[in-house]
Amino acid sequence: MRKLRLCLSALLVAAMVIAPATLMAAGKALRVAIIAPSAQNDLAFTQSIVDGIKAIQKEREIELAITDGTFIVEDAAAAIRDYAKKGFDLVIAHGSQYGGSLKEIAPDFPETAFAWGTSADTFGLANVSSYEAASDEGGYVMGVMAAAMSKKGGVGVIGPIEVGDAKLYVNGFVNGAKAQNPKIRAKVNYIGSFSDVALAAEAAKAHMAAGADVLTGTAQMVVGAIGAARAKRVPWFGTQANQTSLAPEIVVASQVYKWEVVLKQIIADMDKGVKGGKKYGINLANEGIVIEFNDGYKLDPAVKELGMKTIAGIKDGSIKTGNATP
Amino acid sequence: MLQMRGITKRFPGVLASDNVNFDVRAGEVHTLLGENGAGKSTLMKILYGLYQQDEGEILLHGEPVRLNSPADAISHGVGMIHQHFMLVPTLTVAENVALGLQSGRAPFSDLKNVSKRITELSRSFGLHVFPDEYVWQLSVGERQRVEIIKALYRDASILILDEPTAVLTPSEVDDIFVIFKRLAADGRGLVFISHKLKEVLELSDRITVLRHGRVTGDTTPAQSDRHDLARLMVGREVKLAPDAHAVQPGEPLLVIENLFVDGDRGKHAVQGLSLEVRSGEILGIAGISGNGQRELAEAIAGLRPSQSGKITLAGHDTTRCKPRQIREKGLSYVPEERMKDGAVGEFDIKENIILLNHDKEPFCSKGFLQFGTIAEHSRKLVKAYAVKTPSIDTTTKNLSGGNIQKVIMARELSAGPKVLLASQPTRGVDIGAAEYIHERIARQREKGTASIVISEDLDEVMALSDRIAVMFDGRIMGIIPRKEATRESIGLLMTGEQQHGAKQRA
Amino acid sequence: MVDSFAVLIIVSTIASGIRLATPFLLASLGEALGQRSGVLNLGVDGVMLIGAFGAYYTVLQTNNPYLGLLVGIGVGVIMGVFYGFITLYLQAEQGVSGIGIYLFGLGMSDLLFQKFVGTPRPILPFMPLHFPVLSDLPVVGEMLFQHSIIVYIAFGLVPVMGFILKHTTYGLNIRAIGENPEAADSLGVSVTATRYSAIIIGNSLAGLAGAALAIELGIFQQNLTNAMGFIAIALVYFGAWSPKGVMIGSLVFGLVQAIVLQCKTFGVIPRSASDLAAMAPAIITILALVVVAKRFKQPSALTKPYVRGS
Repeated sequence: MRKLRLCLSALLVAAMVIAPATLMAAGKALRVAIIAPSAQNDLAFTQSIVDGIKAIQKEREIELAITDGTFIVEDAAAAIRDYAKKGFDLVIAHGSQYGGSLKEIAPDFPETAFAWGTSADTFGLANVSSYEAASDEGGYVMGVMAAAMSKKGGVGVIGPIEVGDAKLYVNGFVNGAKAQNPKIRAKVNYIGSFSDVALAAEAAKAHMAAGADVLTGTAQMVVGAIGAARAKRVPWFGTQANQTSLAPEIVVASQVYKWEVVLKQIIADMDKGVKGGKKYGINLANEGIVIEFNDGYKLDPAVKELGMKTIAGIKDGSIKTGNATP
Repeated sequence: MLQMRGITKRFPGVLASDNVNFDVRAGEVHTLLGENGAGKSTLMKILYGLYQQDEGEILLHGEPVRLNSPADAISHGVGMIHQHFMLVPTLTVAENVALGLQSGRAPFSDLKNVSKRITELSRSFGLHVFPDEYVWQLSVGERQRVEIIKALYRDASILILDEPTAVLTPSEVDDIFVIFKRLAADGRGLVFISHKLKEVLELSDRITVLRHGRVTGDTTPAQSDRHDLARLMVGREVKLAPDAHAVQPGEPLLVIENLFVDGDRGKHAVQGLSLEVRSGEILGIAGISGNGQRELAEAIAGLRPSQSGKITLAGHDTTRCKPRQIREKGLSYVPEERMKDGAVGEFDIKENIILLNHDKEPFCSKGFLQFGTIAEHSRKLVKAYAVKTPSIDTTTKNLSGGNIQKVIMARELSAGPKVLLASQPTRGVDIGAAEYIHERIARQREKGTASIVISEDLDEVMALSDRIAVMFDGRIMGIIPRKEATRESIGLLMTGEQQHGAKQRA
Repeated sequence: MVDSFAVLIIVSTIASGIRLATPFLLASLGEALGQRSGVLNLGVDGVMLIGAFGAYYTVLQTNNPYLGLLVGIGVGVIMGVFYGFITLYLQAEQGVSGIGIYLFGLGMSDLLFQKFVGTPRPILPFMPLHFPVLSDLPVVGEMLFQHSIIVYIAFGLVPVMGFILKHTTYGLNIRAIGENPEAADSLGVSVTATRYSAIIIGNSLAGLAGAALAIELGIFQQNLTNAMGFIAIALVYFGAWSPKGVMIGSLVFGLVQAIVLQCKTFGVIPRSASDLAAMAPAIITILALVVVAKRFKQPSALTKPYVRGS
């Protein structure tokens, strides 16, 4: 009886763990693989790369495999190696935290092309390419608009940890706001987590209590902040994906990454036999970064005009975002 | 009022109860006597609904009943005072009593009325139990009386008393016997389970002796004495006390001076204790457990640091020594918790026998165990100490308590100790094995060993010792030579009464 | 002017701390009840996640946040039945099966979300309650009387649970079984039934905690709870298994989070130290745990399956 109980319980526990995973993996075997830290429809970082490859799928046949939600780096590393072993042509490690793993794995699979981002480091390896987004550019544009909209003279920013894409975006936003209104109180709160939705919501509330009347934020936990802003009808600027659907009433505009611009370049290079060693980037000028306005939000035409002008200025180089220094 | 007829209970490989008849009449104390594993507990667990018999029937108040759970037994008026108290220390007395009762104010508990009734019951039977005290604050004797209240509260007409005196001091035993007799006089039937012959003779109206699941005797105190009962229990003649060969004590081998040792809870468990034990003598240490005996033993063995004072073992100061160094100076230690500190249950017998010498010649050579030597040595000791085991490869925990203790004794005594420290050497050990262990300790006298026997069992201490020291609250209350010792004089010291006229050794 | 602004900030910080504390409080109250009966459930976070998804999906479909709360509780009950079966009937090791429940909840909530929702859509959150007079009080009003209903449910449960444990037969049974199940069994109290009920109630509170979180935030996403359930377990130890203690623990944790957040907003904590500061609530909890937990003993029978006669 005891043994039976033991077996049964072991089986049950095993089934509990495996069931969701196997159900999730019910897809087709494919040639391009993406490994990303959060959900593929997070309306943020991970969705942006998935949307990018799907955009290319419309033009040419791509078999796509996605392993998402690998916020544990070791899991991601295992997935990267697995896809490489299975003979995928291009393995995309979408997350700056995967760099270390990729550096170890890539040399073992010289026939496979690896791409990772956001980063500017290819480790000097011939089959690794890197990509990044000039998210400071969109941040700057939206900072300018936010400062112009603020009546109380305060804007609030919610970030995860001060690194990579988030840092670029936040700095760009703050610089833009200050360029528009040197007296603006631009407060930044890095909450220390990519996933604590509740804390992000409270951070938004703290910003509002402290006198911010326009908010923005980056990384996947900001959905909580958007909810808090929505409850108080405080305008929100989104980034990494179009966040309008999360709060149609308050999202003014979103900076959207069109990774297909980069992916097209990478794939084109692969067709030429170049498997890596190059750095790619998206920005306003190459239209890998676009600012998508929410048509449902009644934006003062003057502010929108200001935004368009700033975009043009950055594109032609007459406006500098003051990259990376707030 | 109770009749159990032809009760048979089989466990895999064991016939735990073999066609046993047992009955209890109102107003009497009927003793169930037997060694560990004789079937007393099985029989009573059947009566209390914890087990179900395979054959036979139970009649309560003339009605045949089927008891499927303790709740059934309780509702038929059967109450049990368990040897290991079934109390929740973190609850009050009233809460413990109320547990499992239908509350008059359901779903809320009705502690006020319960408390009132407890006070009434306590008064009418002289139990001195107070409903609002937490059980963890109570002494062992008080806890036992809480158990009695629990049964009385449930209108138990039949009370099963499972070795109720095992944890009590002599004076507490006297008190509880008064209460038991009062309960019997009140018209209840009491089943007294015990293996302490003296108590059985004192309390019982009738005695039923069990051995190997079978009734081997039905008798009364008037018709029998201790030797008769012991013979019925063990199935052969038993010497109740080892023959004492008077040995002239030699030089002191263990000297303890003004020792202070902290207990687990920080405060001094041993407070300024001094004593000495000479070559060829046995010093018994009596006392209620929890008065510093364990800490004293551990301090001597080096398992617990001493705060101050000095321990001298065979001329060496071992106060700050490690256990291993102390052993090398000539100490052998038979610890209180034999399965925790004395032997490794998962090991086989031969491994336990060489446990402390497994890294020395001849059992070990250049880091390799010498299996041949080990086996030979083990076989010799198993034979010499009459350990009942299928082989030396048997896993130790499968042996009975008595045989495990023999294995430990074999290991410890074969080291040829100068000082032997034995804590509760026969607790939970059946009479036959206890007799043998006592014999062995007594024999150490002739080899010039200085022995200390720490025991809660007063009979054991009085049977073995040349001198008896009584510990209370971390101190020695007095040391009495065996010839002058009586149960009363020792019992008095155990409760902390300073001895009059007896000299206390410094 | 400066003073009134400072008061405003302090008030909003405390209000924020209370909001942050709420899901922890609900989850740890449930866990405390289970542990008092002697059952450890490490799967709280998983139950919270499924409860959160259940509530989110319900509100998405019906726009009724109260129905969402009920679904959260219902999900907890189902998980409780499941966990009770594993730990009480199969007598599986509680630590391992709890982790199993957690992983199950983590995976299953995400799977259901992907399958039935996909792209996150906002749901109708609770509106803050408005009490006549009380809510309009200066300072205290905003601090204590402008929260959503779930905050009052959570804090209201503290005395209720305290009363149940202390003054009902059921509570007495639970306390006894957590300490000495043999004693309770010997008096005819069913250990299994009592533990089962405690597990189910505990899990339903975890489900409610998840529901509260999802509805309060108005959103669901993968791993929404961010390991809150594990913090809740730590808070049970912090609170020495008493509802009041658990409440104090949750409040301390929530308030420290809120204070750190506020300090970062105002730049009191330099941005370079912000990642370190983010650890403050956890560190303070651990320190308090070391200090507090040493003085209290856990229920003696915690994690030990009860088998009669062994």
